[in-house]
Amino acid sequence: MKIVVTVKLVPDPNGEKKIDPATKRWVRTGVETVINPYDEYALEAALQLKERIGGDSTVTVFCMSPESLKESLRKALAMGADGAVMLSDSSLEGSDVWASAHAMSLALKRIGFDILIVGGLTDDGSTGAVPGALAEFLGVPCLTNVRKIDVADGKVRVERETDSGYQEVTGALPMLVTTALTIGEPRYPSLKGIMGAKKKPIEMLSVADIGAADAVGSTGSKTELLSFAPPPARGAGQIVTPEDPAAGAAAILAFLKDKKLV
Amino acid sequence: MKNVIVYVEQKKGATRKVTFEMLTEARKIADALGGRAVAVVLGAGAAQVAEQLKNYPVDAVQVVEDPAVDTFLLDPIVHYLEVAAKNVGPSLLLIPNTLSGRDLAGRLVARLNAGIAADVTEIAATNGRVECVSPKLGGALVTHCVLRAGDYGIATIRPGAFNAAPGGSGAAIERHDAQSAQYPLAIERDVEEGSGEMALEEAPVVIAGGRGMGGAEPFTTMLKPLADAFGGAVGASRAAADAGWVSYSLQIGQTGKTVSPPLYIAVGISGAIQHKVGMRASGTIVAINKDASAPIAEVADLTVVGDAFAIVPELTKLVTAAKQ
Repeated sequence: MKIVVTVKLVPDPNGEKKIDPATKRWVRTGVETVINPYDEYALEAALQLKERIGGDSTVTVFCMSPESLKESLRKALAMGADGAVMLSDSSLEGSDVWASAHAMSLALKRIGFDILIVGGLTDDGSTGAVPGALAEFLGVPCLTNVRKIDVADGKVRVERETDSGYQEVTGALPMLVTTALTIGEPRYPSLKGIMGAKKKPIEMLSVADIGAADAVGSTGSKTELLSFAPPPARGAGQIVTPEDPAAGAAAILAFLKDKKLV
Repeated sequence: MKNVIVYVEQKKGATRKVTFEMLTEARKIADALGGRAVAVVLGAGAAQVAEQLKNYPVDAVQVVEDPAVDTFLLDPIVHYLEVAAKNVGPSLLLIPNTLSGRDLAGRLVARLNAGIAADVTEIAATNGRVECVSPKLGGALVTHCVLRAGDYGIATIRPGAFNAAPGGSGAAIERHDAQSAQYPLAIERDVEEGSGEMALEEAPVVIAGGRGMGGAEPFTTMLKPLADAFGGAVGASRAAADAGWVSYSLQIGQTGKTVSPPLYIAVGISGAIQHKVGMRASGTIVAINKDASAPIAEVADLTVVGDAFAIVPELTKLVTAAKQ
């Protein structure tokens, strides 16, 4: 079975986030680039699925990103993915949800898959809409927020989290699945994995290779970003250290009464 | 874009407050664009919900009571909204920014070749142009974006960001027949883990507990009484959900729910960025924490430094007394 995982490369979530006022995009210089943490859960799910199914199953990582960030993808190979495909092209910069999902779908059609596993969220402020759009462009069912996957005889049975509990849902391959964090903590790369990753292939694709033509980047997008800036600052709050718990409770009540919240 | 279509999320005849907020906003946008405002309600119980919408200022409420909506995952809803969009004509679709609303919006981006603005807190429509404001990274950044002129656009709407105001002369309820279709994903079991409590996103007051609670018990014996005193709901940080003290459905933060109640009280929550992202848009934030240097103090309007286990019961008494 061919398992494909999409990953996004993002500025380190623990680093400072800065926006370039001119381009309205993330400043990437001086900030380490890492795999979007949520996508590591998707990769973990893929690796576990491969281990359970065995046989000639493979895990391929797909990434749409500038070629300069290529080496940041090695961690996915070190964790155990068999190979990677990168869609890189300067014309992709500034793509919105529609244009990103469209370009990704053209690349993924070329790569081919039985199951496509996508992280549930991205860490750089995107919309959560890409997986759904991607499934539509690919013409496959879309199963989101999955915490447990079983695959047998081309049939998929999952448990997915809802906002009031969970559901058991069944469907057939090929399919797109997005993972919840409860799917399992991502593994750390082993030393052997890190050594082996250096020899694993990273295939490069361009926009011309996938035939996306003009439907990419800012011009191919359905939205236009006007500004991207910090909001007006929230006023500094008060910090009080009361003499005893009763005084603490009284201080809160007085504060809430003042704000007409009680 | 000329018209506005509101997707009304409902389950067994009950809908959420965000529905009424969207209907109210839909009227304003439709008037600015010179088009119609139409609501779409789907599944078992849809007719019952449609009755509740009649006093809101939309032109029509489309109802399809197809049982497939509740037995198959999302695809029937995607289908009926696509049909509604084609029938109504070029339009802006308003969809609640909930777990399933986000999934639905993504699907429609491709079906309708639409631009999308997500988690929208303000919309301005002028001269056929729709501009949306969305906070990102829990409000650390704010984006302004334009949905380019085209047939369709989508905005997912943050619950609580807009006001709901009844009005209008009574919307026409249009019943449509269910269409037979094959859908790929069957829901075999649907398990509710919530205990019929108020939805976190809709609660006027949220009392959230974190690692400092030390176990499951304080959530029910200490935080719940305070929430009840306010008429609010109990939430939790990821640390508390990961520890198994509460269900994940109570988790507030980047990987859980985003809430913005008028009052948020964080009890024993240090305030990791992943938590702040889910609550920093709240009206007033109060923190009770034993550590004055905890990051939660950076977003709190009032931080009381002390033992939560002693302060919270006192506060519950005071609030109960003040409300009588």
